Amino acid sequence: MSAAPLGVSPYLLGGLGAVAVVAVLGWLFLSGRIGKGGTSAKLRRSVSLAVKSLWLHKLRSFLSVLGIIIGTCSVIALMSFGEGSMQDALEDIKRQGATNIIVRSVKPPDDSATASRGFVTTYGLTRDDIGQFEVFGNSVSRVVPMRVFPTEVRYLERILSNGRVIATTPDYQQVNKLELSRGRFLVESDDTELDNYCVLGAEAADKLFPYEDPLGQSIGMRGHFFRVIGVIRDRMPTGGTGGSQAAENFNRDIYIPISTSRRRFGEVIFTRSSGSRSAEKVDVSQVTLTVDAQVDTPEGRATVKAVGDEVKAILEKRHQRRDYDITVPLDKLEEAERAQARFTALMAMIASISLVVGGIGIMNIMLATVTERTREIGIRRALGAKRKDITLQFLVEAVVQTTIGGLCGAVIGVTAVYAIPGAWDLLRGWEWVSGPALPAKLHVTSIFLSVCVSVLVGVCFGLYPAWRAAKLDPIEALRHV
Amino acid sequence: MPAIVRIVDLVKNYYLGGQTVHVLQGLNLSFDEGDFVALMGPSGSGKSTLLNVLGCLDRLTSGQYFLGDVDVSAMSDDQLSEVRSTYLGFIFQSYNLLPQYTVVENIELPLLYQGIKLDDATKARCVELAELVGLGDRLDHRPLQLSGGQQQRVAIARSLVNDPHLILGDEPTGNLDTKTSIEIMQMLRELNRSGKTIIMVTHENDIAEWARRVVRLRDGQVESDVRNDTRTIAEMGR
Repeated sequence: MSAAPLGVSPYLLGGLGAVAVVAVLGWLFLSGRIGKGGTSAKLRRSVSLAVKSLWLHKLRSFLSVLGIIIGTCSVIALMSFGEGSMQDALEDIKRQGATNIIVRSVKPPDDSATASRGFVTTYGLTRDDIGQFEVFGNSVSRVVPMRVFPTEVRYLERILSNGRVIATTPDYQQVNKLELSRGRFLVESDDTELDNYCVLGAEAADKLFPYEDPLGQSIGMRGHFFRVIGVIRDRMPTGGTGGSQAAENFNRDIYIPISTSRRRFGEVIFTRSSGSRSAEKVDVSQVTLTVDAQVDTPEGRATVKAVGDEVKAILEKRHQRRDYDITVPLDKLEEAERAQARFTALMAMIASISLVVGGIGIMNIMLATVTERTREIGIRRALGAKRKDITLQFLVEAVVQTTIGGLCGAVIGVTAVYAIPGAWDLLRGWEWVSGPALPAKLHVTSIFLSVCVSVLVGVCFGLYPAWRAAKLDPIEALRHV
Repeated sequence: MPAIVRIVDLVKNYYLGGQTVHVLQGLNLSFDEGDFVALMGPSGSGKSTLLNVLGCLDRLTSGQYFLGDVDVSAMSDDQLSEVRSTYLGFIFQSYNLLPQYTVVENIELPLLYQGIKLDDATKARCVELAELVGLGDRLDHRPLQLSGGQQQRVAIARSLVNDPHLILGDEPTGNLDTKTSIEIMQMLRELNRSGKTIIMVTHENDIAEWARRVVRLRDGQVESDVRNDTRTIAEMGR
């Protein structure tokens, strides 16, 4: 998914507004409506003079600013694509709920002790563990337990072989921000009355009910029948972010009340996979605690971390084995944010390199121009131009070039940010092109930064040629052919 | 007539490859306001150097140069630029117009550095001057679209735009044929008659003939200084 670059953000509006204000001010200044003083009149004249001289050599001027154009444009594009993919990663983490703390039951790696004792493996979280979480009181707004096990799902002759039952409580919907496309999610009474109700994931609903309305139909799982009361809207899989968290696809999930699952399927879950049978007694596969805090504030983050530490302490006390795993998405969020900061710094470095290279191009051409226009300099000096007039002329010429280059680069860069993801999506529509989506988010700061740096580059790299021009002896310059 | 230019013991040396070249060796000259002077002499005589010094483009090694009452020999580079911009007009052998500018813009050029506001009034003055030199129908032409004579007339108009005290010509007819040269000299004589002081360098006797006073230099010293109204060029001896 691309992080929708076309959404008009207040930043973008502000940025465009600022650019417009600068343009209007510049126009007012150049047309003489503001800045009546002698200095501004002189500057105004220098700018129009510079534009005239540059216009005389259109191709050369264009080629010499090409470096700046490409520099600015690539800075904006790189920053925006970087920002886009970063944002994508952050979104991914936030989708897991940045204030959540996820505790999973994990089969201990070396489980010979229990395995030898019996056929049934027992491990993981228990209902008692969850009872302990009451100590958090109001700081934890929701505690959502889940039992997860694979199953085959049938409706008439149709079979969904790789389905997954998620037995949980109604709060699951809020915690995972599920949206329903039809019907309703589980409610409290479904759980207390042990109703055989289920809610289907989008893909499961599609597979089992390609033609008919799933609501009200009954599906079979492990010998029990459940009535479909709702269908979940297509849900983004989480990206595998390494560690204990693998990529998950939620669209084949079937949600049932947790108490119903205990009653119908018992405490021990038998599974068959590739010929081998196993029986596991896992009371609760996963618990998600939602901390009542704001991720955007440092206090909120501290609260989340404190709860995370407390959960860890409680579980360490109650479990001899490491048969659980605690994930705090906030940690990953912060890690990603740090990565983004590093990335931004790196981009800024690349920015400065490409713009410095562009500046060298400008300086090169300016030096050639000064040599070529030595006679003009001599004429101007003879007619009364001071050294600083000559300096100003060439400096302004360089700055006008880099400024125009910077603005052009910005326009091209912004266009690229908007055009490339669309074009790429179009390309990906063809069979022989593959690759991930290219998310882009316009990096507004980089526009300002790169245009400002362009102007600065003009000043820095224009100074030496301008100084060379001003230093010329008028007589020598006049004699120059 | 008061002297507009007075030079006292003017010495100018060049240092070329470790050697000192004595170009001007203690010149004493003064030129009156409203005069029309031709500087002559063989190459190496120092006439161009003298013109450069008079034009505040070159520094003297020693001596004094009074422009009006002001000693300009001790002035800074910026001050000299200001003097050029306010008091002097230049006409060059190779016209020295800026190719990217139109006739009017070229005439306007000296005003650019006077720190005055360029508006419709200054523009009108430039147009007036262009008409004065007979280019009223070529205001928006560029130098390359004009003949040599026309270009030199633009240069003359340009030298007048700041209403200078002194017009300096460096072989103003050097690149022109005889007929055009005569036109240009007629124009300069008109200017002189209307009160402008003109000092020009030339090495052609028939051009020097137009001047009222002819100063001949040789090896950095004054060889002869003759008023044309008393003697002809032919009499000055070749």
